[in-house]
Amino acid sequence: MLTTHGLTRRFGDVVAVDSVSMTVPDGRLTGFIGGNGAGKTTTMRMIMGVLGVHAGTVTWNGAPITAQDRRHFGYMPEERGLYPKQPILDQLIYLGRLKGMSTAAARAAVLANLERFGLAGRAKERVEKLSLGNQQRVQIVAALLGDPRFLVLDEPFSGLDPDAVDSMAAMLREHVARGVPVLFSSHQLDLVDRLCDRLVVMARGRVVAQGTSDDLRTAGPVRFHVAAPGDLGWVRDIPGVLVVGQQDGTTEFEVATPGAEQRVLAEAVRRGPVTSFGRVVPPLSEIYRKVTAA
Amino acid sequence: MSEPQHPRDRAAWTIVAHREIVAKLRDKAFLFSTGMMLLVITVALILQAVLGNRAHHYTVATTSSAQSVVAQVAAAATAQDAKTTVTPMVVTDDTAAKAALTSGDADAWLHRTATGWALTAKSDPDAGLLTVVSEVVRQDVLAANAAAAGTTVEALTRGSVVVPEALDTSGAAGTLRTVLGFVFAFLFYISALLFGVQLAQSVLEEKQSRIVEIIATSIPLRQLLAGKIAGNTALAFAQMTLYAGIGVIGLSFTSYGRYLSDVGGPIVWFLVFFVAGFAALACLWAVAGALASRSEDLQATTTPLTTIVMAIFFGSLMAKGTVATVLSFVPPISAVAMPMRLAGGGVAWWQPAVALLLLVVFAVLILRVGERLYRRSLLQTRGRVGIRQAWTAQE
Repeated sequence: MLTTHGLTRRFGDVVAVDSVSMTVPDGRLTGFIGGNGAGKTTTMRMIMGVLGVHAGTVTWNGAPITAQDRRHFGYMPEERGLYPKQPILDQLIYLGRLKGMSTAAARAAVLANLERFGLAGRAKERVEKLSLGNQQRVQIVAALLGDPRFLVLDEPFSGLDPDAVDSMAAMLREHVARGVPVLFSSHQLDLVDRLCDRLVVMARGRVVAQGTSDDLRTAGPVRFHVAAPGDLGWVRDIPGVLVVGQQDGTTEFEVATPGAEQRVLAEAVRRGPVTSFGRVVPPLSEIYRKVTAA
Repeated sequence: MSEPQHPRDRAAWTIVAHREIVAKLRDKAFLFSTGMMLLVITVALILQAVLGNRAHHYTVATTSSAQSVVAQVAAAATAQDAKTTVTPMVVTDDTAAKAALTSGDADAWLHRTATGWALTAKSDPDAGLLTVVSEVVRQDVLAANAAAAGTTVEALTRGSVVVPEALDTSGAAGTLRTVLGFVFAFLFYISALLFGVQLAQSVLEEKQSRIVEIIATSIPLRQLLAGKIAGNTALAFAQMTLYAGIGVIGLSFTSYGRYLSDVGGPIVWFLVFFVAGFAALACLWAVAGALASRSEDLQATTTPLTTIVMAIFFGSLMAKGTVATVLSFVPPISAVAMPMRLAGGGVAWWQPAVALLLLVVFAVLILRVGERLYRRSLLQTRGRVGIRQAWTAQE
């Protein structure tokens, strides 16, 4: 498990990351979301030790993190590109050896992973010959070398076609299944919603929300909807209820006093047929907009 | 960053060095430039050998009246240079002599004129031949004139001979030493510049592609820098040794071959100085690469280094006398200036030893300063980094 406490980084007068405390639990896929400039990349670089920490700490399994711990982390930086003019296999073996693997072990691991991404036949080609999507796959293979104990991936899904997204997701789940904590950033909220067990939302250098997606969804006020053919203007007058949206014979309302939704349902039934009634689970995008709003 | 405690870390730089060498050996541009340099050295030496050993044959046409003079010319020419032969060709008259010149059967025609002698050729007479002929004719006529005046040539010319003398009696060896000094300066310049620029580019490439961030999580950046410097220095040294080896082998086939024992020492010294000087500069080139953020920045960050390399080249070539002696102790210029002085000869053994010690101390200092600058600027991705900024930056 990786934890940060009050992690802070300034660039000149700008506080890029402001007292970030978050947890990436073992065996969970944690999605790191936030707009451009929210501080995700800076946080990840500090976790990986490639950027100095101005305040705060990073702990790994309860102890302050060391370079030796990080040596067993897999990291995919924000901007892609290995050695453009070197063959794929050669440089992946090189990176594996720097992690302490033997040449033979590195070669076997690289070839197995390239195979999974359908790139085994191109192992001897130079990286610059590959399409951007394939270069990204190679980059992922680099991050997965040596059975990492923690994965930090900066925008691993950007630029991947749907097939590659699926094989990437499957691969991440495999690592999660063997108990590895995975932290990845993304702009694609639906993807994060679909894949992640846990979310950390950043805005303006701060963590504005974190937890499972269910936690986040249910953190706000409980919301219901009711749909009926007639006019629903009366819902406003029920005590303990706050109408948040009204269109095409459907009204959405938040429940301020528990049980108030039952009074709405009873009144609706009394007034005529009810076509639909139920709990509204807001989409992640709405929660995201809400928590990141200034 | 705290220091990793992994036992393998000590060897990490060897993995980096290995990659640097393999990547370079697969680089067609590097192989091409090395091949070209070898070709230039070989061709230069072959030309030297061919020109130096070329034999000169002249056929000189003459009428029977001047035959004895031509015979003297032939003897004098061969006595002066064993590879020069002059063959007399007796013709019946002037017309036949001109015909022989026109047809190319004779190279020159020696004949009397109203006031003295003439050496006629199809165009201008060969300068070497003209010298020999002039000398012989002059001696001959002087002897005749002296006899007519009742004296001898010896009496007339007594005390008038100016003998050329040199304190350094090596002659051709002196030329070789001068050329060798120039070759040292030139090779160092080319090697420091070509390897240096490419090293800066490769550091920037790693920085720009962020692969350095992946590497930095695996090994300390110090190891990365050490590996890059070691790999490039080893390769540059190997290249230089190859050039020197080919040069020495080639030289042994030329007339300079007998002076090889004189220049062997300076060549070995040059290679030793080269390693220390190159390593110090390599570290600075790596810093220049790390200070840049985009390839456009490299122009600015490498300017101080190109200036240093040029100063080493021109400084050691142009310095004379005391200045040259002083510079041969001042690092990094001593990397070239001292081997040049050694090539010139007459340097006490302790001088290169002291200069080398100073150069190594300088290199160690540069490596320490450079390592800090490199480490602190390599992971800064926001624009060009100033040296002061890199020095004081928080990691």
